Amino acid sequence: MKEIIEVRNLTKVYGKKAAAFSALKSVNLKIYEGESVAIVGKSGSGKSTLMHLLALLDTPTQGQVLIDGENASKMKKRKVNKLRSNRFGFVFQQFFMNPNDTVLENVLLPLKIAKVKRSTRKKRAMTALKIVGLEDKAKNKANNLSGGQKQRVCIARAIVNSPKIIFADEPTGNLDSATGDKITDLLFRLNQKGVTLIIVTHDEDLAKLCGRVIRISDGKIISDKRQRAVAPRRPAAKKVPVARKRG
Amino acid sequence: MKLSDQILTANHNLFRNKTRTILTIIAIFIGSFTIVMSSALNAGVNAFIDKQVESIGGDGFIEVFPAAMYDQLAGMMGSGSSKVTEYNPNEGSAITATISKSDLKKMQEVDGVKVLEMFHFLAPEWMTSNNTDKKYSVSLEYFPDSEFTVDLSAGRMTDNNSDENEIIINQNWLEPLGFSSPEDAVGKEVTVAVKETAKCYEDEDNCLETLTGTIVGVQAPGVLTMDGDLHVNKAFDAAIYDISVRNLPKEATKRNDITAVGEVDPEKMSEIREKFRELGFESITIDDAVGMIRTFLDVMVIILDVFGGIALLAAVIGIVNTLFMSVQERTREIGLMKAMGMSNSGVFLSFSLEAILLGFWGSAFGIAASMLIGFFANKIATDTFLADFPTLSLTKFEPLTMLTITAVIMLIAFVAGTLPARRAAKKNPIDALRYE
Repeated sequence: MKEIIEVRNLTKVYGKKAAAFSALKSVNLKIYEGESVAIVGKSGSGKSTLMHLLALLDTPTQGQVLIDGENASKMKKRKVNKLRSNRFGFVFQQFFMNPNDTVLENVLLPLKIAKVKRSTRKKRAMTALKIVGLEDKAKNKANNLSGGQKQRVCIARAIVNSPKIIFADEPTGNLDSATGDKITDLLFRLNQKGVTLIIVTHDEDLAKLCGRVIRISDGKIISDKRQRAVAPRRPAAKKVPVARKRG
Repeated sequence: MKLSDQILTANHNLFRNKTRTILTIIAIFIGSFTIVMSSALNAGVNAFIDKQVESIGGDGFIEVFPAAMYDQLAGMMGSGSSKVTEYNPNEGSAITATISKSDLKKMQEVDGVKVLEMFHFLAPEWMTSNNTDKKYSVSLEYFPDSEFTVDLSAGRMTDNNSDENEIIINQNWLEPLGFSSPEDAVGKEVTVAVKETAKCYEDEDNCLETLTGTIVGVQAPGVLTMDGDLHVNKAFDAAIYDISVRNLPKEATKRNDITAVGEVDPEKMSEIREKFRELGFESITIDDAVGMIRTFLDVMVIILDVFGGIALLAAVIGIVNTLFMSVQERTREIGLMKAMGMSNSGVFLSFSLEAILLGFWGSAFGIAASMLIGFFANKIATDTFLADFPTLSLTKFEPLTMLTITAVIMLIAFVAGTLPARRAAKKNPIDALRYE
């Protein structure tokens, strides 16, 4: 199995001197392509900090994050941005949508940032919306959707540029259990098609569904268990159907 | 993001909060409107003055007098100095001072003088046409200036190289001479009666001689034309003058040589005037004539520009404020875009573009409104109080000036926008996403 992310001796300290607080303490971790990983911990345990560092949204105080074997802290800023726009997808608990824009515009945004041609943008956004079953809502204002629909739009937005890794921060946190299940379903379907899934959650039910559960407490990994084999990869559908990369 | 996407997105973002954006645009609009209006007025009125200046002889026009006479005149008008001077047989007194042939030659040789000829005070007795029985007193003049043109409503300029007698009449001469329109007058003949002075000494009642000339053009009414003076060409001028001085003793005709007119290089105007002064001659130029009007116009333009500038300054603060609010409101969105791989410079650009677009819309509306108002003001003005000056256009919108104003306002808006745009660009994606 290919390592997609590796962290070595990762430490993150917030604040300075007397007020310093170590959110992460010398964490070592390898995540392989196609895995579904749940990072579980109480609030303040450092799980979100870990995800932010993995997604290169934040820089570690010490240690390294390697993406496909390359040290991220030595990468040029442009490369990091490109990595985030072409390889990563994000799903947030609070959705973070532009409420007054249409669903389609929200899903298009990552493609705009990735400088995808205008003509292919709409096609790919519509395909992504089809996958989450919201193609008929494309012209609706994002604000007029229900919570579950919003989260599905966010998933469409996360997959529209055919990422290799999806980072999901409490993806079901704001949803009732029935809608939550639908979202979970969607995420694991993507995982089965080869997308690496990294979910931060304190929801044990969601964690149980993941192939691997990493428990964090006080900035340290206290357990790292594979619950079952990594989702089998079907070579023909290695990527999500929408996932036609440029070039 | 591609630049085209950036611009479209920025414009879209701007109008997310319509009220705020429109208010900011109005602030810029007020500033740009004032400045555009002031520049259009300046251009319009100046263009008109330039045309009028042309009608007197252009920027290079010069009229030369013996200094002694000029001093006397200045004293008479209560300005300058009416000084008591010792008699100098070479210079002559205020009354007897003239411009001799050799003086004229000396002045003609001064560097920058293109043409300088003796000016004849033409005093015909009357003028009439074939369409009327009435005779009218008239004053005629001829300028050798090559740039000399008048604002014509019909016909062409007089030709100084022509052997025919040519004249340009004013609009207000049409009716007395019995012409229905400027076009009607062109090509028609006028008759001018001139006294042969020497003959009049013998027989006062029988010394008139008549001459005919052709109307080649009709002058449009203007602010700066001396209405009584009609322009004739060199041939007509010479013909009239020759009759009036025929058989007169030389000493008598010399008395007429007190003014020379011509054209000089406007760039060298002040040096030329200085040289003439050394030779004993004073001069009058267009600047002396229209300087006051120009100064008034300049002051008005400066006042308007200052108002416009103050309005723009206030608008700039509005831009900064609007964008800071926008950055504040869209903190999360900025975080999200950064998480999705948007660069700092991309975020900076997107907010700067909003500022630039605010500037663009403000100035575009400003220009559009000034053009509209300028158009109607012109229409009203030329229908009413400026009806006598059909060629006067109060406002003139020069494309290059409009573009420059737009560009400068957009630049100012950009500079104002850098502050909020920098704040947006520097936001950390994590903090931005956590922001409540």
